[in-house]
Order: sequence, then structure tokens, then C-alpha cells
Amino acid sequence: MRNILNLKNPDSSIATKLIIAIGLLMIILSFIFWYAILKKQEKDIMSIAVRYGGSFVNFTKESIHHSLLTASRDETQRILETLSTPEGVRQVKLYDHKGAILYSSHKESIGLTIDKNSVSCRGCHTDPEKSGALLNDQPKWSVSREKGNHTLLKIVGAIPNEPSCNTASCHAHTKEQQILGFIEADLSLAILDEALFKQGLALTTYVVVFVLAVALFLGIIIYKVVSKPVRELVSGMKEVAGGNLDYSVPIKSSDEMGVLAEAFNAMLLDLKSAREQGEKWTQTLEAEIAKKTEEIQRTHINLMQTEKLASLGRMAAGVAHEINNPLTGVVTFAHLLKKRFPQNSLEAEDLNVIIEQSERCSKIIKNLLTFARATPSEKGRVSINDVLSRTIFMVQNQEKFHHIKFNIKLEDSHFTIIGDPSQFQQIFLNMFINAADAMNGRGNMFISTRRLTENAKPYVEIEFTDEGCGIKEEDMPKLFEPFFTTKPVGKGTGLGLSVSHGIVKHLGGYIKVKSVVGKGTSFLVRLPLAEEEK
Amino acid sequence: MKKILIIDDEAIVRTSCDRTLGPEGYTVKMAASGKDGIEFLEKEPFGLVLLDLKMPDMDGLEVLSKINSNWPDTKVVMITGYSTVETAVQALRMGAYNFIEKPFTPDTLLAAVTEVFKDQK
Repeated sequence: MRNILNLKNPDSSIATKLIIAIGLLMIILSFIFWYAILKKQEKDIMSIAVRYGGSFVNFTKESIHHSLLTASRDETQRILETLSTPEGVRQVKLYDHKGAILYSSHKESIGLTIDKNSVSCRGCHTDPEKSGALLNDQPKWSVSREKGNHTLLKIVGAIPNEPSCNTASCHAHTKEQQILGFIEADLSLAILDEALFKQGLALTTYVVVFVLAVALFLGIIIYKVVSKPVRELVSGMKEVAGGNLDYSVPIKSSDEMGVLAEAFNAMLLDLKSAREQGEKWTQTLEAEIAKKTEEIQRTHINLMQTEKLASLGRMAAGVAHEINNPLTGVVTFAHLLKKRFPQNSLEAEDLNVIIEQSERCSKIIKNLLTFARATPSEKGRVSINDVLSRTIFMVQNQEKFHHIKFNIKLEDSHFTIIGDPSQFQQIFLNMFINAADAMNGRGNMFISTRRLTENAKPYVEIEFTDEGCGIKEEDMPKLFEPFFTTKPVGKGTGLGLSVSHGIVKHLGGYIKVKSVVGKGTSFLVRLPLAEEEK
Repeated sequence: MKKILIIDDEAIVRTSCDRTLGPEGYTVKMAASGKDGIEFLEKEPFGLVLLDLKMPDMDGLEVLSKINSNWPDTKVVMITGYSTVETAVQALRMGAYNFIEKPFTPDTLLAAVTEVFKDQK
């Protein structure tokens, strides 16, 4: 995902491309338009010029008509000179069908022959030497460049044969002649050129300004509509790629960009919620894993503990059993030896010590073997309250418990458990003995039973709380280990709690311990209840 | 006929029984294994057999069933460790007269033995 969104700045933007494309198109179109208008103007102006030129030639013809009829050469020459005086009229001349110049406003050209390749001849004839071949379309004018690069309009008008001409007294022309001569005017179009140039300049300026304005306008529109939103989208994507999902693209328009931005924002929201969901799941999963790991660890520790206890128990049983044999010998021979001495003799008393200590050994072994014995001998339905009451009654009558006040609160319930009553008695007895030892035989003991449900299964909890010395934090883990004791040597075997623990575990229960040093200890024995008998 | 046979693989247990019962007027014979014990029984009759439950070659219960079928008049008292109470109960069901737990005192042993022979007095 990171790689896909690793955005870089674009080498060329859509806006630039659009502006270049549209601009080029506009320039081409504008050029064509400009060129067409310019040409059209030129053509129009030329046709006007030709028309006026034609008029000028006709006017000249009319002006010299009379002087030609009267054959007064000076008069004709004078009129031509007068006609060439206005601005723009360069030359007015008259020549015959053969091209010989008869009159001209420029006197020096009289008597010369005109250029036969010019429009003067080629306006009508394909070949000036062969007068028969006439052109269908006969342009009577041509343009050329004069000094100063101005346009020079050469316009030719024919002088047709008229009755007044061939009937005149001079008899210069026969009746058969169709065309008597030509009037040609050279007109400078400098003024028009200038006007055309000015107009062209203005047009060019308009076109350039138009193109620039349109380009600017387009640029602004493209920037607003395309470039800016795209840039915002790209920066939005960069933000998202950087991990910021709280970002939202600030585009509010009704076009496709707006729809795209809206879709992008919606996608971001989806992405965000998906990520949050994912994070939540991950957290839940982590918590679940931690919980399970702890459970497994606890189970593992329990299993190790159980396994340790079991192997210890097996070893203890083996050892205990073997010790029984030599112990039998010790006890027997001590007794036999004792019989040989008088009852109160020093020897008899010493032997009594041997016997007592042997009996102590025997007791330890018995405890060890109880601890090792895994299965109860007599299983049956046992009422916990009954066994507890009996055990309390039993201990209350013993000297060890004479100064202990028993506070009993048994929940009025038939707590029935499948098991061996003697084993329960042993557990309870252990609890009482430990409590009495912890309190040095003085204080309050609180015993209570209650029903509770754990993992949808009914349990009975039997609480033994004393006001004793408490259990040190460092001793807690070793509490249920066999042979662990804090009692003085000879007083405890360190097997009471481990035996109790073994029994309770075997029945599917467990023992919880809460203790405050100097304040007291609570042992909570939890045992699963048997199903109710119908 | 106060003849007692002790079958136990442990010498100290045999000697203890012998030293306790001998001075009380019982004739005591000792066998170190079930096999030896059966051999003794084949040679002469005994009123009581003190039989250890756990022995290496022949199990106490096996010896017990042999005695029951071959010498029904001979009573058997089992000697057992605490951990084998269930076995002791089984032994009683199989026809043993009584059982005593190790380690026992001379008084316990004597009481058990006296009980066996009280009918024969």
C-alpha cells in the first residue's frame, strides 16, 4: 500500500497539457481567420480601386474625346497632363493598337512602345504578336510594385471605334477598325496600402489580445476546475499514505471532481473505521492471547506442581515403606531392652526416648503414605457441614484448642460432595492445627461455608480464618510443597497442607490463601458439589 | 500347638517377631521367602503364619491362597505397610485372620497373636 501511494509530483500537469493543446488550436484557428480576413480586405479594396480606376480611365476617355475628334494634339496632351496631377495618379498615356505611345502625361515616353508582356497587351491577347487570339476573360488591370514598395495599379481602357470617329474630317480611322487605341493609367495605391497595413495591424492586435485573453481565461478555469482539485486530491492521498486518516479533501463542487473528492472522503472514512475495527480486533486478540498464555502458564505450573508432588509422593511412599522394616526392629528391640531395666531407671527412660522418637518416625511415614495415596479408599456422598461440625467438636475438646474461640457460620445448605469423609476430616484437622499453631493457641477462628458458582458449576467454599501471625510473601509459593514448614523442628512434618492440597485437587477443587503478616490468614477450600440426588 | 511361622524377606522383622514371641512360649520358625515358607509348611503343621504382604519372589497374597487351600487349619495374620491397606482388606476377604501394620510394637504383635490362639487354650 505504501508503494502504490508513494506519490511524486507530476512531471507535466493536465492543466499545462490542456492549455498547450487549446492554445495551439486557438493560434492556428486565429491565424487562419486573420489571414482570411486580411486577404478578403485586400481583395475588396483592390476591386474598389479597380472600379475607381475604371471610372478614372472612362473619365479620361470622355475628357479627351473632343480633342481627339478635332485632332488637336496639344489639347489632348494638355488634358492628360492635367489629369495626372492629383495625388496617386502616376501616369496617364494613350497608345495605338500596335503599342506605340501617342500621348502621355510623361512627355519623354511619347513615341516609345509599351511593354508587350504587360497587361496592356496580355489583358486581351494570348500572344501579342498574333492579334487574333483573344482571351475569354480579359482582366484590364494589373498590379506591380513601384518605388517605396507601394502597390501600383495599371489599368487599361480601350477606345472603341465610333461613327463620329470614322466620319470625322481628319479620316484618321477607317470604318472597319474595332479598337482605335488604349488609355492606360498608372495609379499608386500607397494610401490604400497604408490603410490596409493599419487595418491588418489592428486585426493582428485584436487576434493576439483575443488569444491571450482566451488562454488566460482557460488557464484560470482549468486551474480552478482541474488543477487545484487534483492537487488537493494528491496531497490528500499523500496524507493518507503517511497514515493520517483524519484528513478530508476540501473540495465542494458539483462536478466530477466534487464526486471524486466525496468518494475519496467516503473511502477515507471507511478506511478509518476499518482500521479502528482492525485495531480493536488486534487489541482484543492480544488480550485474549495474553489471557490464554497466562492460563496455559498457570495450567503448566499446576501440572508441574502436580507432577512434582506425584513423583515426590511415589518416592516418599517407597522410602517410607522401606523405613517401616528397620523401624519395626528399632521399636521391638527398644521395647525388649526396656523390659530388662527397672521401670524408672535411667536406661528405661532413655529407651522411652528411642521408642517415642521411633513412633514419631512412624507418624511421619503414615502422613507421607497418606500424601502418596492418590485414591480415597471409601468414596461416598459426604455432607461437608456434618464432617466440619464433627471435626470442630473433636478439636474443641482437645487441650490445644481450649483458648481458641470458634466462630461458626455454616450456610444452611446440603453441601454434598463425593469423597472419603476421613479425608475431609484430615483436611479440616490440618486447617485447625495450622490455625492454632499460628495463633499460639489463643484467639478467634472463623469458620464458614457458602455456595458459589464457578464456570457454571456449583462449588462449596469452606473458609478458615485465623488471627495468627500470617504467612510471609516469600513463603507463599512453597506453601503446598511437601516437607515445607515454618513450625519448630519436631512440631510439624510439612505434610499437612500438601496432603490437603493433594486431596482437594484430586476431587477437582482448589485451595486459595489470603494472608496479611501479623493480622491473620484465610484458607478458602473450594470443592465441587455433587449433583443433587432426586 | 503354639507353632508360628514367620514369612518375611526382611531379617530384622523376622528377628523382631522371634524375639517378641519366643519368650512368650511360642515355637517360632522363620522363612525368608514365600517358597521357603511353603517348604516349612509341607514338613510340619503351624498354628499361625505371620505373612508379609510384599516380598520379592512370591507375593504374600499368592502364599495366602496356597495356605488356605492346602492347610485350612493354619491361620494367617498379614503384616503390611500403611500404603497397602487396600491389599490388607483384600487379604482379609481372601481368608486372612487379621493384619497388623508396620512398624508394630511388641504389644501389638502379642495382642494379635494371643487373639489367634485364645480359642485353642
